[in-house]
Amino acid sequence: MMITAGIDIGSITTKAAVIADGKILGTRVIFTGYNTETAGGKVYEELLRDLCLEKTAVRRVISTGYGRNSVKFVNKAMTEIICHGTGAHYLNPLIRSIIDIGGQDSKAIVLDEKGKVKNFAMNDKCAAGTGRFLEVMARALEVDLDGFGALSLKAVEPSRISSLCTVFAESEVISLISKGERRENIIAGIHESIAARVSAMANRVGIVPPVVMTGGVAKNVGVVKALEKKLGIAVEVSKYAQVNGAIGAAVLAMGLK
Amino acid sequence: MFEMNSRLIIDEFYEVLKDPSAYGRKIKEGGRRKVVGYLCSYTPEEIIYAAGAHPFRLFGTGANIYLADAHLQSYCCSLVRGALEGALAGHLDFLDGVVFPHTCDSIQRLSDIWRMNVKGSFHIDVVLPVKLDTESARAYMIDILTKFRNDLGGYLQGEITDEKLTNALKTFNTIRGYLKRLYELKAENPGIITGSDLYAVVKSSMIMDRGHLLEVLPTFVNELEKKKESAASFQGKRIILAGGVCTHPDIYRIIEEAGGVVVWDDFCTGTRYFDVSVMNDSDPISVIAERFMKRPVCPAKHAGIFTRGENLVKIVKEKDARGVVFVFLKFCDPHAFDYPYIKELLDREGIPSMALDVEDQLPSESQLQTRFETFIEML
Amino acid sequence: MNRMPEIMLFLLAKIKKFILHFKKKKKMKEIMMVYYMEAKSARVGGRKVAWITSGGPVEPLIAMNVIPVYPENHGAMIGASKMGVDLCEKSESMGYSSDLCSYARTDIACATVNGGPIGGLPRPDMLICCNNICGTVLKWYEVQARYFNVPLFILDTPFCHMGYAEESRRYVRRQLEEYVLFLEKACGRKMDHDRLKAVGKLSLEGQRLWQAVLDTTTNRPAPMTAFDAFFHLALIVSLRGTPIVIDYYTQLLEKMKDRVARGIGAIPNEKYRLLWDNIPIWHRTRWLSEKLASHNACLVADTYTSAWCRSMKYIDENDFFESMAEAYTRIYLNIGVDEMAGIVLEMVDKYKVDGIVMHSNRSCKPYSLGQYDIKKIVEREREIPCLIIEADMVDARSFSESQVSTRIDAFMEIIRQRKGD
Repeated sequence: MMITAGIDIGSITTKAAVIADGKILGTRVIFTGYNTETAGGKVYEELLRDLCLEKTAVRRVISTGYGRNSVKFVNKAMTEIICHGTGAHYLNPLIRSIIDIGGQDSKAIVLDEKGKVKNFAMNDKCAAGTGRFLEVMARALEVDLDGFGALSLKAVEPSRISSLCTVFAESEVISLISKGERRENIIAGIHESIAARVSAMANRVGIVPPVVMTGGVAKNVGVVKALEKKLGIAVEVSKYAQVNGAIGAAVLAMGLK
Repeated sequence: MFEMNSRLIIDEFYEVLKDPSAYGRKIKEGGRRKVVGYLCSYTPEEIIYAAGAHPFRLFGTGANIYLADAHLQSYCCSLVRGALEGALAGHLDFLDGVVFPHTCDSIQRLSDIWRMNVKGSFHIDVVLPVKLDTESARAYMIDILTKFRNDLGGYLQGEITDEKLTNALKTFNTIRGYLKRLYELKAENPGIITGSDLYAVVKSSMIMDRGHLLEVLPTFVNELEKKKESAASFQGKRIILAGGVCTHPDIYRIIEEAGGVVVWDDFCTGTRYFDVSVMNDSDPISVIAERFMKRPVCPAKHAGIFTRGENLVKIVKEKDARGVVFVFLKFCDPHAFDYPYIKELLDREGIPSMALDVEDQLPSESQLQTRFETFIEML
Repeated sequence: MNRMPEIMLFLLAKIKKFILHFKKKKKMKEIMMVYYMEAKSARVGGRKVAWITSGGPVEPLIAMNVIPVYPENHGAMIGASKMGVDLCEKSESMGYSSDLCSYARTDIACATVNGGPIGGLPRPDMLICCNNICGTVLKWYEVQARYFNVPLFILDTPFCHMGYAEESRRYVRRQLEEYVLFLEKACGRKMDHDRLKAVGKLSLEGQRLWQAVLDTTTNRPAPMTAFDAFFHLALIVSLRGTPIVIDYYTQLLEKMKDRVARGIGAIPNEKYRLLWDNIPIWHRTRWLSEKLASHNACLVADTYTSAWCRSMKYIDENDFFESMAEAYTRIYLNIGVDEMAGIVLEMVDKYKVDGIVMHSNRSCKPYSLGQYDIKKIVEREREIPCLIIEADMVDARSFSESQVSTRIDAFMEIIRQRKGD
């Protein structure tokens, strides 16, 4: 039996996954905190403990994510784009494109039939088009971010929020609130805004169906629907949205010499 | 990797780049020679050199933009904003003059704003044609180069004779030849010199005293020729860089660390600067004009609607490269307009590519690493 | 219009044109409708269609009976119908940077989907690109040359940093001859130079009338605003050299003179007079107009609409072709920032304005870079305030309403204070 592991160290959360002979044994998510090396080690140890596995039982480990180079005990570090691609392909080999919207960045990845990355684009410069955009808006609306998705589905007509910039979009939202616009409509408009940004990036890399969405924002059904509308393509939400990268890393670890 | 000789020469190139303004000041004080600044690779350096002056290429500034903000909106490129910043801050007060060939809309307005706000040096606009593929454009180009020769002669109080100009042509052709040879050596055997070192040589050749350059450059190249067989071979994936002005040597290092190697480029500050040389019996002005019409074309000029794309595909094939990385300055319109069709040409040929938007400051190292590692993994 | 078969469009256009010819009061909407219908059905009538830049020499096209189409004018229509954002997004997914000119982005996208308010522009048979307005048009027209696979003619008008050079004149003059040869080849017949002379005369007459119309706003109160000028501008841009331009502007001039005679102002209470600089914010003209009117401020003039008659002084009525070189090279955007500042000061004096509103237009570098220096010069030489509004002419995503509103309010406060109100 070949057991491998993957550790995805993001800026907000750190994830680990363990696979045995091609089956997912378990996954775990913790907050990263300020020390990526510690987080990487901690999530790994805790997961192994949950699975009652010794470190020596794991044949190979690959790290990925923003903090991938900080953990010294892994066999290799690979970028989150490659790992997300591999993870998505492993969970569903029919998938051809991935849209990943995280807390601080967003990515669009296109795969070939073998699950290799054919093209990719990243937005890691601008808050609009990332989870941060939604956080800012949730604060402005005084609504719990977790409720965004459900609320937006009740919208009658999404408000038009045109600003490219998060700060100015926030001021547009405040303007709408003071004009008495309904919360649900505003939230739907916010979702359309983030969908427009991300779908432009996705179209630039030649996104093709089937499409899967990963990353924290995938939990927001409103964003998913807005993306589908904008792209004109169905978007599947991965069951393993948050840990997809870690799973991909574990799968890649199987191929390591 | 290098003999003592080559290492000393390389160090000298790096020394020039550490503080180009200080170097410019030294040239001026030392040789009682005038220093003439320029931004664009279509500057007729030979005419400046033949006038006894020192052509000194300007790049952006590493510093924050502060003074330039009062004259230029944020939606123009960091090269233009940075150059104006340096000028307004007095870092370029050693310049006796500045020459502005017609390049793009931003440079065009920079010239006006510079002329209106930066005093103490002469200012010459060389409005070269945008078209480079017609007889009337060639005739106009010759007219303008002639005008420049007269104007510059006036400012520098000395006639620029045909003989001086022909000698200058020979000097620059020689320099261009050696730079090209360096690139060829690298393409044949990538391990022979690092990307950052090669960058340092090429960039300082636009700043350094050309007479001195003619002394050290041949020595350096000859040393490398000797190394050709014994240098360690590099296993990295061969990559072409394409774009405008690149002032980021770190890119080469990060690519090399990610498992790639840059074997050629299509940069304004790279091959477009030196790739083609012309020498024949015509008068020197015509020779300069001909080189401008023949050299790899800048996207701000027009020489056919598929020329640049086809040229890039040719480079990829000739240099046996696996992919192209576009390095674009944010707000550079000419490059941004060309990108989609060039990418399409590459896609059709099955050549993977990636585009990177940069400003005067590079994105964080980890962001670059992620992109390059992913791209190289894709090749 | 968008879905009608070409032959029907052609016939309908002929009928409408016939009716229009006899109408005393010609409306802009009717004129432009006939124009676009004719353009979209050109093939039926055996005519060719040329896309041309807004600063390009249209007279030879009219003389060759080629229908000129202006993608920039179409861009303004796209902005005004608030269709800019969607088309910009489309161009971005095609790989075009969002920092590029929004006229170019929307046109490039529009051509692939036949979008916009009139279902897309008619396919060009040729492209005429004059770079006197900017270098972007060169790149934009290269894109369209590849897309449509039609011949492209470039008129390269060298920039006039400090005046007009003899070298430029020779170059442009030679290119004008190349232009004629290009048209002769594309149309398969020779240029009728007598016809060209006649078109030249009509062009000049049209420009004189347009200038006269713009001059009426030197009166107090101004009988029309710059927003009206933005609207009436379409004809001198798109149909210059044709008789209908003469008819329309003659009619318009009469109307304005009449209003002046009766003391009728464009806004109910004109207390403050302003000058506009740069291309209009096409998607917000109504909002801006109302906002300024609420402050009793009237935009009495602008640097943009006057660009289509400012070259008159370089035109020799008796040698139109020869003088086209200078007229098309020395336009407002092809001269140095200091010369532009001089023209702004002239306009400040001529129209007696209390302040300037400058649109810092992301899409137009030749117009926007240099505004800060012009602002400083005006403030120093005339001691009137200048307001800068950051926006984009077509891409509404770059417009921040509450921020702009606040700025206008603050600007008007300063003006009121200075006038002791």
